[in-house]
Amino acid sequence: MGFFHQVLPGIGTKYELETDSGDIISVIFMANGRVQLYTQPARCPECYAADLNPMETRRLGNVLTGAIMEAEEEGVEIAFSALADLRIVVHTYIIGAKLAGKAISDLDIRSRTGVTVLAVSRDGKNTVNPRPDFRFISGDAVVVIGESDQIRAFEQEFME
Amino acid sequence: MEGIAVALAVCVGVALICRRYAIPPIPFYIITGLLLGTAGLGVVHSSEVSEWIAHMGLLFLLFTMGLHLHPGEVAKRRSSFLKAGIIDLCINFSAGFAVAFIIGLPLYDAVVLAGAFYISSSAIALSSLIDNRKLGFRESDTVIWLMVFEDIILVALLIMLASQDVSPLRTIGIILCVAVAAFTFAWKFRGHLHQFFAREDELPILVVFLSVVLAVAIAGVTGVPDSLLVIILGSAISLVASERAEAVARPFREVFLVVFFVFFGISVSFSGAPSLILLASVIILAIVTKFCSGVLIGKVIHGRALSGIDIWADTTSRGEFSILLALLYGSSAVVPVVAALVVVTSCVGSFTGKYSIRIRRWFGGITAGK
Repeated sequence: MGFFHQVLPGIGTKYELETDSGDIISVIFMANGRVQLYTQPARCPECYAADLNPMETRRLGNVLTGAIMEAEEEGVEIAFSALADLRIVVHTYIIGAKLAGKAISDLDIRSRTGVTVLAVSRDGKNTVNPRPDFRFISGDAVVVIGESDQIRAFEQEFME
Repeated sequence: MEGIAVALAVCVGVALICRRYAIPPIPFYIITGLLLGTAGLGVVHSSEVSEWIAHMGLLFLLFTMGLHLHPGEVAKRRSSFLKAGIIDLCINFSAGFAVAFIIGLPLYDAVVLAGAFYISSSAIALSSLIDNRKLGFRESDTVIWLMVFEDIILVALLIMLASQDVSPLRTIGIILCVAVAAFTFAWKFRGHLHQFFAREDELPILVVFLSVVLAVAIAGVTGVPDSLLVIILGSAISLVASERAEAVARPFREVFLVVFFVFFGISVSFSGAPSLILLASVIILAIVTKFCSGVLIGKVIHGRALSGIDIWADTTSRGEFSILLALLYGSSAVVPVVAALVVVTSCVGSFTGKYSIRIRRWFGGITAGK
């Protein structure tokens, strides 16, 4: 299943979902707020149908409601197409030896990368919105939130 | 003012009929102008006011074109964007140039005519893709980005033509300075500007109007054409609030542009035009060369010559940018040729755009039959 998104200058934004069976469904958000929906079957050019599996159905539903989720390993990207294509990434990481014993405020995570630490999971106990003086220990699972560029900066700065 | 009222009133009727039958109104605005003006009944003449409004229409057209030239989005395009654009440019521009020499135009006019011959109408192409429900096709993406490529070439052409009369280095230097200043400002204050354009009150509208008027003012001081400056300002604003700025500029553009088209028609005189046979062959050639470039692009980008039929169907119309080139830089020998070219190709283009699927099937039948 492929899922693509591209800007069409003068028209709006196009989301294209290619199903496992090769059918293509395109959703185009236009500048005037209207949406055009297309189906292009792979095998039968004269008919207008697409065959979706449950995952693909959820994806299409997400596109149409305006909050598009793109899942990757340990992370999910949410795009709010109604809000000028706002895209937010939520990602999880495991704290290694490099950051162990350091507090969030020591690391200056937000001002250096723009990323916010949303929650930390330690031995099955979760801390949501940890305080700046929260100290990591090795093996903590952290959930961070930010734009994809900020997440990339976070990875380069702290996770490599 | 009476002239503008008469012309606009007729245009409202024309637009109503065009919307009813889902055909692009642009050629019919020009035809209305031709009928009312010098070439026809001679009841409406252009005045200072109409010229000013028409000029604002042209500037708002270029401003919104600039809004679509988001540097980041253009830079992200893959090689297919360049390939399609270069094929389109090479075939159509050189054909237009050849035509100009056959008519016997001097070099400067030949460049203008070649540009007008090459550049398709973005307005007609985009509304055809939306109205005829073709946005889902991959060929439509190619058409849309082809329009962006043509816009970039138009900017290059405008710079070239503008730097003709005064010293080219000075003109290009000023353009670069304005561009650097505008882009740096937009980038530096992008957060503030983004919030500013999100306001619901009259301020974003005032600022959009100001940026167009500012372009005219800078042009007055520096001698660099306002048409170029307004594109640069539009492109800089596209970094921060492309969609909102477009929504704000749209009402100005819609109204002023109708005046621009109809008064273009009114001002055209066919007295200096080449013979009817020559005009007809130029127009047929314009349709044929877009067919050739379309088929070649279809073959190269989509692997199917038949895809090219779809591309041709929506790019065959020449329109606003051709007129703009003729009006700004063309002599009286170029203007009637471009007027005829735009009217006929855009009528043909509205037909091919509407029935492109049938036309492709028909061509598919012929090629399969061989």
